[in-house]
Amino acid sequence: MSLRQRHTLSRPGHEYERAQEEEHADDVYQNPNSRHPIEKILETDRASTIVVAVLTTLAFALRFYKINQPDQVVFDEVHFGKFASYYIQGEYYFDVHPPFAKLLFGLAGWFSGFDGQFHFDNIGDSYTANHVPYVGMRALPAILGSLTVPVVYAIMKQSGYSTIISAFSAAIILFDNAHIAQSRLILLDATLIFFMSLTIYAYIRFQKLRYREFSTEWWGWLLATGAFMACTWGSKVNGILTVVTIGIAVLVDLWKLLDHRRGSMDYFWRHFIARSIGLILVPFVIYLSFFYVHFALLPTSGPGDSFMSPAFQETLSGNEMLLSSKEIRYYDTITMRHKDSKVYLHSHVERYPLKYDDGRISSQGQQVTGYGHADTNNYWQVYPTKAIPETGSGRVVRHGDVVQLLHVNTNSFLLTHDVASPLMSTNQEFTTWPKDDKSKHNETLFTLNLIDANDGQAWKTKSGYFRLVHGKTRVSMWTHSKQLPEWAFKQQEINGNKNPTEKTATWFAEDVILDEDEEDDRVESQPAKAPKKMNFFKKFAELQLLMMQHNAGLTASHPYASGPINWPFLLSGISFWTESDTQKQIYLIGNLIGWWTCVVALSIYVGILGADLLARRRNHEPIPEPVRNRLWNSAGFFFLVWGVHYAPFFLMSRQLFIHHYLPSHLASALIAGAILQFVLSETVNYPISIRGPKTRAQIRQYSDIGLKGPIILGIYCVLLFAMFAYIAPLTYGTPGLTGEQVNSKRLLSTWTLHFAAKKTAEV
Amino acid sequence: MPSAVAVDFGEDISPTRTSSDFEEINYPSHHESSLPSYYMEDKARRRTKGPVSIMEEEKVPLVPQNEYFDDEGKDVYNKRPPKSRVSSGRMWQAPPPRPASLQEFFLQNMEHIPPIIYTLLSCWTRFHNIGASDIVVWDEAHFGKFGSHYLKREFYFDVHPPLGKMLVGLAGLLAGYDGSFDFKSGTQYPENVPYVAMRVMLATFGVGMVPLGWYTAVELGLSQWACHLVALMVLFDVGWLCISRFILLDSMLLFFTFLTVFCLTKFHNQQHDSFGFDWWMWLVFTGLSIGWVTSVKMVGLFVTALVGLYTIEDLWEKFGDLKMPVRDHVKHWGARIACLIVIPILVFMASFKIHFMVLNHSGPGDAQMSSLFQAHLVGNDFNKNPLEIAFGSRLTLKNMGWGGGLLHSHVQTYPVGSSQQQVTCYHYKDENNEWIVLPRWDEAEYNPNEPEIRFLHHGDSIRLSHKPTTRNLHSHPIPAPVTKLNWEVAGYGNSTIGDQQDHWIVEVVDDVVRGDIKKHKDEKEQRIHSLTTRLRFKHQILGCYLRAANAILPQWGFKQIEVSCQAADATSKNDVHTYWNVESHWNDRLPLGDQKYYRSPFLRDFWHLNVAMMTSNNALIPDPDKEDILASKPFEWPFLHIGLRMCGWGDSQLKYYLLGTPIIWWGGSLSLVLAIVTVGVYLMRAQRKYVDMNDREWNHFMYVTKIAFLGWALHYVPFLVMGRVTYLHHYLPTLYFSVLMLAHMLDHFVFSSRRWTQKTKAIVFGVCATLIFGTFWWFRGVAFGIAGPVNDHWGLLWRKSWNIYN
Repeated sequence: MSLRQRHTLSRPGHEYERAQEEEHADDVYQNPNSRHPIEKILETDRASTIVVAVLTTLAFALRFYKINQPDQVVFDEVHFGKFASYYIQGEYYFDVHPPFAKLLFGLAGWFSGFDGQFHFDNIGDSYTANHVPYVGMRALPAILGSLTVPVVYAIMKQSGYSTIISAFSAAIILFDNAHIAQSRLILLDATLIFFMSLTIYAYIRFQKLRYREFSTEWWGWLLATGAFMACTWGSKVNGILTVVTIGIAVLVDLWKLLDHRRGSMDYFWRHFIARSIGLILVPFVIYLSFFYVHFALLPTSGPGDSFMSPAFQETLSGNEMLLSSKEIRYYDTITMRHKDSKVYLHSHVERYPLKYDDGRISSQGQQVTGYGHADTNNYWQVYPTKAIPETGSGRVVRHGDVVQLLHVNTNSFLLTHDVASPLMSTNQEFTTWPKDDKSKHNETLFTLNLIDANDGQAWKTKSGYFRLVHGKTRVSMWTHSKQLPEWAFKQQEINGNKNPTEKTATWFAEDVILDEDEEDDRVESQPAKAPKKMNFFKKFAELQLLMMQHNAGLTASHPYASGPINWPFLLSGISFWTESDTQKQIYLIGNLIGWWTCVVALSIYVGILGADLLARRRNHEPIPEPVRNRLWNSAGFFFLVWGVHYAPFFLMSRQLFIHHYLPSHLASALIAGAILQFVLSETVNYPISIRGPKTRAQIRQYSDIGLKGPIILGIYCVLLFAMFAYIAPLTYGTPGLTGEQVNSKRLLSTWTLHFAAKKTAEV
Repeated sequence: MPSAVAVDFGEDISPTRTSSDFEEINYPSHHESSLPSYYMEDKARRRTKGPVSIMEEEKVPLVPQNEYFDDEGKDVYNKRPPKSRVSSGRMWQAPPPRPASLQEFFLQNMEHIPPIIYTLLSCWTRFHNIGASDIVVWDEAHFGKFGSHYLKREFYFDVHPPLGKMLVGLAGLLAGYDGSFDFKSGTQYPENVPYVAMRVMLATFGVGMVPLGWYTAVELGLSQWACHLVALMVLFDVGWLCISRFILLDSMLLFFTFLTVFCLTKFHNQQHDSFGFDWWMWLVFTGLSIGWVTSVKMVGLFVTALVGLYTIEDLWEKFGDLKMPVRDHVKHWGARIACLIVIPILVFMASFKIHFMVLNHSGPGDAQMSSLFQAHLVGNDFNKNPLEIAFGSRLTLKNMGWGGGLLHSHVQTYPVGSSQQQVTCYHYKDENNEWIVLPRWDEAEYNPNEPEIRFLHHGDSIRLSHKPTTRNLHSHPIPAPVTKLNWEVAGYGNSTIGDQQDHWIVEVVDDVVRGDIKKHKDEKEQRIHSLTTRLRFKHQILGCYLRAANAILPQWGFKQIEVSCQAADATSKNDVHTYWNVESHWNDRLPLGDQKYYRSPFLRDFWHLNVAMMTSNNALIPDPDKEDILASKPFEWPFLHIGLRMCGWGDSQLKYYLLGTPIIWWGGSLSLVLAIVTVGVYLMRAQRKYVDMNDREWNHFMYVTKIAFLGWALHYVPFLVMGRVTYLHHYLPTLYFSVLMLAHMLDHFVFSSRRWTQKTKAIVFGVCATLIFGTFWWFRGVAFGIAGPVNDHWGLLWRKSWNIYN
């Protein structure tokens, strides 16, 4: 009871204080002329333009400084440079990332006169020796990386922060060693980050126009958001996270529109449809068009062929499948290879030992193994189990046929039976059985299942895969990378996998072996084949699926891979390139001051929101409404960007590197600006959304940081630059460092730099 | 409008009242517990533009049904005004009067008749023909064996906490089993193993699931129809049935999971009387139950998380209650911390304490524990080690990292790097773990006949010679095979060949018993002791530390743990992976030790064992080299894509196939989807200001939905993210929540809806019950055992992906 009393008593006083506060606010914040003179100057368009110009110039200077250094292939330039050369040569390649950024590199290479002959095979290969116009290619990410800085400034400015605050956020990106190192090389991240920041910018512009819905400007920024989003997604797989971010923001937005006070359902549906067009349809069409260009530019066979389905491969000119695929007929002698490990199905006269090391017993039959090299013991002859005509198409082996395979050199049929295989007790042993002994005829029957085939489709060499399923026990012929012991000459084990549709139990027929005197009637009888056509959407769907599968499959360990939890704290970097003679190295690492500022800002932000939630739960409202609004909506959006670009990595099991954090780092720089504004002053520029025809006029407020803003920014920039300059040799890969210098640059003990001097052993 | 209006008695009292008014109310102002919680006024489904007025609540007719007054005619309602706001829990109900006659007693307890019947039925399903298969089925091979270890009191190591396995041991003890059988998979039980009695005892936990399911449904406020359905589904799911009938941990895990949910719902319904006796009782039981379920299997942490989320929401609600005194806030927090955090941890630790107390003999799990712990096990001779290490001592070195092994070497060489002899870390005792401490190459050769014994001290530089191969422990600037940033450690040379790279500096970290012995003045105190002294080995030339972390060598290294040498500046001082201790120690010239020198504190053992369990649990990742036909992926579970053969599939043997009752699994999974859609639609309608339910109804609807949906998600999503091997039976606790959701959805749309007549509801119930029982009866064979050739049993292959037929 007493509590309640106190509450009611304090209420009038509270009201009074509030009124006082508001009057005070009237005086100070609502009159633009009562701001500090410095603030007034800085907030003019002219001052803003000058700041942008300075920032942009510096950004270009820092990113283009010694861009020709090193004149060697660095880190993932191995991949992305190579892809550019494939575009120029038109050879089909396969990669897990969508093609937009790589297309840009191809374009940059083409503009700068690259002929595509150089294949970027190894890190450290010389560009100058091979006459590669690499500076032109590196200029592209450098330009995009430099332009990211003014975009960051514009994002902050548009979100209503002061010039000083906007410059602060931009400076964190401007002087960041990781962003610089990443944008000076032929890598995709600069493109990704540039378009991501543009997407954020466009979406904010769009949001600010929310009271002028369906105006031309509104449509313009909506479509721009969609277009930039498509470019982000098209640059790198991670770009999908930007799509998710915008998606979540739009859902929140739509949820607010659903409120019945906002209008009828018709009104809601109009909004819904507008967003579907702008943020789903248009981006998707743009995304598709990247692939359209991609396929159009890569008409000929190349290193990516073997990833694709046979139907796809036949659309590439010069593809081997297209040129030399042959139908297999009964009594042909053929060789077969396993799809993944590429071993031939092989057999030889040696037999399985009666007893294995673990005490299990074998059938002591003839060994059937996987062998990596061409050999006459790889020859198998296809026997029919039905009557076939003398000539004609009746002799062709077809999908679903039951066949026997005769090992030519030992004249015995392939067989499997319910005996455990040498290495895996769960799988069946494969062996052979003499041709003339009919006692085990049933166990030598196999069904030929061509993958994705129609009934009656012919079995062809090189074109398409098959599974060989045993008729009686329903196991499928399978192999794995484990070697058999010495008694089988360390060849690969072949066994029967109990899952008849096992994905890795796929094989292809390599070739038809012809006797010397036999004439090859098949190739001659067919005219030179033209590449087949395939529906673009089918191609697109196939490639998307493969990209996803391979992206998830990148799980091999890498010495410089690191876990996401290390990233914000900058605990480890990546060694991009080293040169032993001159002791030069490029080590991808961020600006320690900038990154740690961002971490501090993030924790302050979470703290403020938490405190605000708790306080409001207890009916206190410690933060004035406009400021709170800004913290939740504007900084909240940045926080969403940060979280969505960061959290999913915790769930991924693929290889992760610190450069995956760069988009999140950019978002955290935006939050750092918002927090600085909050800490320095309780003022905001408000409202910032453009007033619509029906919206009520609101009392304007003006942000005023005063003199302390420029001073803090100045000091901070000096610190940032000092830190940047200190670790710059690692970023630019020049000049070379002595061992002691390397040691002194190793600011955190977790950084693994090369050429460190040995510390004298302390005993 | 604050949501609490509906039930907050203090809110809409006119301002003229004084606080003493509470005492004078002679009748409660409303009494919603007498209404079914699904009560919905016809007119409620309408749209209001303005704020929903309090009038809403007043329209609720006040129909007290359970109006009991005891003989003295006292108004029992007066005594217990609700103390705090209640969001959806049941209101306090007056206890019924004492039964005057037997008939009255029956009438009062009518509600307990159905669960009793269901329990009796479950006894039949669980115990029917339980001993039919007299062979070791499936994981009985593991858990039966662990039970035997308890009876033989031999220390073993396993990834699961001990409570469940101790109960298996207890069942064995009660059944008169002596622990002599080794439970080899697929073998026949010998005469002296009372496996039937053991199975029956463990199946009793399975029996207990049924009444718990019923009463949980009652506590969740579901209608009688829905309660019957929950009980029927728990009773007739062949998956739960099958898994409960063997010597496995799952029946216990399921029972305790059910129990935890039951206690939680019971506790929720005591909210009207915070800090009352019942409130405390159910809170304490929830805590105990959490402790038990996590002590059976770590999966119990998921249901713990459910309780945690519930508690967080509850406290958040209370935090917003401005009228609650601070003292009550503190009490609420204190009660939760004490009952839901402290009690479970105590239960968990107690189970380990008993585990250590029972297993006091040396056994197969020794090597997972610290050397010091092993010294206490009966049958272990470490405590006979000579205490002080000297030059010429033969010893084994144990890595002190979690689950660390013994420094090991064998004649096989590295196929990469230097091609010298491999040095690894190995978990089993073996002659290849033995090393001899020798002086440096530039010192006089060790002479066993020298009269003075040279003891080992901090800072001494030594050479370690591998006993069986005489190779020296050696490191050189060649990258290690797996941890490429470290240097390789190899065995090099022999007793006469070697170089400076064989020299290691012994650094003492501290001594577990004697503390920092480096600071001691007395030379004798500075000596290095076996077992208790923690050491590091620093390479004299490279300055790197000998380290064995959790990097596993490929097949050529027999999947043993890689040993490497990590640069000093990359090594943290506190990295236990660089700490070693002497485990076995032989030296003929020194006196034997005594147990009294070696002590191992419980907390340290407890922690060590838990970290070791975690490490090996996470190491259960799918092995690409080993195709596991039994393993399955989580997304194959909800719609029962696969089943699991639990034993051999020969024609002559009884075959068990782990498979759920399809109707229950499919219906449950569909109901989850339906729940998401329903909540989405309701939320959107609320956003458009349609009023479908009043606040109390909405809160209750959401409460049940949250328990079922979050429970399901918490038990399911982690498996999607986890890297380890997953099996179908991991879905069994999860299934419970989808069953609850199915009942809840049926309840919401059919049984509690006013749209349907009683007759329609009865028909729907009849159809559901028949389907459940029918499919159960159809599939009963998979749990009771399929005799004869499986292909003779027609019609079981409802999905092509099941490998039930040959």
